[in-house]
Amino acid sequence: MAEKTDVWQGTMMLMVLRTLEAMGPQHGYGLARRIEQTSGDLLQLNYGTLYPALLKLEQEGYIRSRWGVSENNRRAKFYELTKAGQRRVRKAAAEWEQATEILARFLAPAHEA
Amino acid sequence: MRLRGLAFGWRQDGEFATELESHVTMHTEDGIRAGLSPEEARRQALLRLGGAELTRQAYRERRTLPWLENLLRDVRYALRGFRRNPVFTITAIATLALGIGATTAVFSVVDRILFRSLPYAHDDRLVSVGLVQSLEKQEFTLGGFFYEWRDNQKPFSSMTFERGVSACNLTEANPVHLQCARMAQTFLPTFGISPELGRNFLPEEDLPNSPKVALISDGLWMGRFNRDPNVLNKTIDLDDHPVRIVGVLPKDFEMPRLQPTDIVLPAAMDVAAQHTVNSGIGFPMWAFARLKPGVSIAEAKAEMAPLYRHTQQWIPAEFRKEFLLQIRSIRDRQMQDAYTAAWVLLGAVLAVLLISCANVASLFSARGAARARELAVRSALGASRGRLIRQTLTEALVLSVAGAAAGCLLSEGLLRVFIAIAPTGIPFLATARLDLRIVLFTVLLSLFCASLCGIVPALERPRATALVARSTNSGTHVRLRRVLVAAQIAISVVLLSSGILLVKSFRNLEQQNLGMQTRNVITVQVPLNAARYQTGQAFMDFYHRAEASLRRLPGVTAVGMSDSVPPDTNSWHGGMRYADIFVAGKPRTPAGTGGTVISRLVTPDYFRALQIPIVEGRSFAEEDRNASGDFMVVSKQLAERLFPRGDAIGQHIQFGNYNPYFVLAGPVFTVVGIAANVKNAGLAGEDEPEFYELRSNHHPESWNGHCIILIETALPVSVVAPWVRSQIAQIDPTAPVEIETLTQTVNRLADRPRFETALLGFFALCGLLMAVIGLYGVIAFVAAQRTQEIGVRMALGATRMDILRLIAGEGVRLIVLGGAIGLGAALAAAQLLKSLLFHVGTHDPGSFIAVTLLLVVVALAATLIPARAAMETDPMQALRTE
Repeated sequence: MAEKTDVWQGTMMLMVLRTLEAMGPQHGYGLARRIEQTSGDLLQLNYGTLYPALLKLEQEGYIRSRWGVSENNRRAKFYELTKAGQRRVRKAAAEWEQATEILARFLAPAHEA
Repeated sequence: MRLRGLAFGWRQDGEFATELESHVTMHTEDGIRAGLSPEEARRQALLRLGGAELTRQAYRERRTLPWLENLLRDVRYALRGFRRNPVFTITAIATLALGIGATTAVFSVVDRILFRSLPYAHDDRLVSVGLVQSLEKQEFTLGGFFYEWRDNQKPFSSMTFERGVSACNLTEANPVHLQCARMAQTFLPTFGISPELGRNFLPEEDLPNSPKVALISDGLWMGRFNRDPNVLNKTIDLDDHPVRIVGVLPKDFEMPRLQPTDIVLPAAMDVAAQHTVNSGIGFPMWAFARLKPGVSIAEAKAEMAPLYRHTQQWIPAEFRKEFLLQIRSIRDRQMQDAYTAAWVLLGAVLAVLLISCANVASLFSARGAARARELAVRSALGASRGRLIRQTLTEALVLSVAGAAAGCLLSEGLLRVFIAIAPTGIPFLATARLDLRIVLFTVLLSLFCASLCGIVPALERPRATALVARSTNSGTHVRLRRVLVAAQIAISVVLLSSGILLVKSFRNLEQQNLGMQTRNVITVQVPLNAARYQTGQAFMDFYHRAEASLRRLPGVTAVGMSDSVPPDTNSWHGGMRYADIFVAGKPRTPAGTGGTVISRLVTPDYFRALQIPIVEGRSFAEEDRNASGDFMVVSKQLAERLFPRGDAIGQHIQFGNYNPYFVLAGPVFTVVGIAANVKNAGLAGEDEPEFYELRSNHHPESWNGHCIILIETALPVSVVAPWVRSQIAQIDPTAPVEIETLTQTVNRLADRPRFETALLGFFALCGLLMAVIGLYGVIAFVAAQRTQEIGVRMALGATRMDILRLIAGEGVRLIVLGGAIGLGAALAAAQLLKSLLFHVGTHDPGSFIAVTLLLVVVALAATLIPARAAMETDPMQALRTE
């Protein structure tokens, strides 16, 4: 189970899973770039933390990896979602939506006031 | 998952490196595409990664459990180190295994003797109360005393008794031979025993002539009644009398004197009659009591003293002084002479454990010294102190675990051997099991020894000098090891000398002259069913017929009969008092018992079968059996005492009787001969005076089930035994026949000392072996440390003999020091063995000289081997290696 206290880990995990869901199999570098692009380059990932996170997801069975060849003909390790990962991303997305909605309600009156 | 990460760690490390590399390459290409120079692009890529090594570290820690990985690495490292140094490893494991194995096995045995809890509630409050005197050193009491004590005593919350266990027969379908105990109704409550099923006797069931009831043992309930709960109120036939079962004893029930028991019956004593029966002193019984809270045994004895003095009036005045009141704990009563043996064994094995711990400590200390430089290097390369200590502890742990595993196997094997060779007399040995607590204790102890000595070098601040110094400076280790080796030698001297004393004592015991032949004698015992043989006449007829038919067997040269056979002490007949022997026409011997005289009821051929020489007069003749007189043969010892003037033959002897006042009663015996002395008070006991009464045909009342037939034959027992069985079966087909050679009987008496000797000898040799290994180790180590010094000395002109003297001198100092301390301690320890020794002084010079010689020879050998190796050192080689 994802550690709820670890917000950064949690959000990073969600981003990884969501990106993999949207793009299909992807290697680590591509994944990192894609996340940065999706965030509109607002987010600068520390690539060093990406790989332990990927390993953790793999250990938890949400993604699996295999070696393949990248678009530039480079040998690279590709990650893709497992069934459990798909379920997890759906659930996590729902949870996240709920959480942001709640937070939004807390923040909204302050704007109106 | 993570565990798998451990197993395939090295492969995954490589894989991750490739993945990182591909990441960096892709990032660099992107950078180049964005217009950076290749170098700059790669630098950027690495920067964004936050350092390749850190990432790798984070990845690895994510992958595995770091402490477990460290531990495994330490274990692998330790194993590698052990493989490189197999002598160290094997010695350490063997030492540990021996120490742990022997300690555990012996402790499992003595634990039951010395420390086990008895199956009674608050067993420490239970005592055995009774009289002792020179003829009977195990306290007993008599009905005449017991009831007065019970009614007037203060120190006990309750007093009870049992009347012993005797053979009884279940005389219904499938008759069985059982052991029946008789006890007071208060027995079970006093001991805090509650029946597993049913109830204890009621007070009204413990009266004379009340309907008979019984409690049965758990074993009998299981074996005969298949644990049927309906066994209650069932009536069984016990020796042809109906007895109703009212309860079942708990599974762990045992009599306080440890007699095997199948059935418990109420004693049903006639209290009033106790001052009239048995010469007015009442029936014999064994009394037990529960101390009131806060009362010690000594206090109880003091409080009982006036009461005891009052009851002394029942003892005939002549030997009133000889009787003493005895109160002791049940454990003491049960274990008596097993105590000494158990303590000696425990002491021996603790000594072995000490030696083995010293050995392990010494081994680790040597290893630590040899590795001082390695530790310094590792510390300089950044290994933390904690890391080094952890590493050392891991090594100790690995060795201890291996040693413990081997030790457990060894102790299991040793225990089996103990049980197999042990005599039957050692209580509970057959049920001894390995005690896991002890295994744990010994493992922890050796782990402690190993880690303590292993850790010392790691704790010392690794000196920079250790890195540069050409030879490691390890004076403290050598000093520690010298102390350890001297201690080992001292302990093994104690062990060895004790072992040799016991061996010598055992040889004396085995080789002593018994005064009779045992080789060609077969003993036959026929425990006849008392229900079928109700009179002495019936017994006499049976034995006469048996004697006659056995005499007809081929190869049989003599058939004698006796009620007991020497050298056993526990002949059922026991002894009588010297003071009760009266010679016609001589004044009475002064009051007092004058010691024990052994009496035996024999047939004429007894002397022929055992080849006991008649030194004066004649033996009994066959005609004497039908003659009207009563005849007697006295032993030489008794004759010298009774007839100092040497006029024994033809004298008349009568026995005194107290009924309750002194009378001379019974037959008048005529002394016809004097027989040579025979060992008759156990193998180790002092010979007692003895007389033989002829079992004559006009005293059929003297015949009973206590009769041993002695057959002298040169044929092996395997040939004769079937003939004997068929002859007896022709007379009484239901009679069980027990056949044994006299040698077997006598050997069994030596079982106990043989067992003690074998064990102590074994431990002594183990101890010596380990001490020698320790000595060898330390000398070899010192020699190796000084290789360079030896090279220099030789280069400067020292001869090979000088070198030999230098190195061997080291060993000799240790041998002399350890040997001297050990001899002193051994002389003291021998005092403790005193009661186990037979015809060997505690300071037997021969034994101690032998120990010293053995030690010197073995220890010198252990010294000379490495010293010779040092002597062979090539000086050029020695100097060049540095």
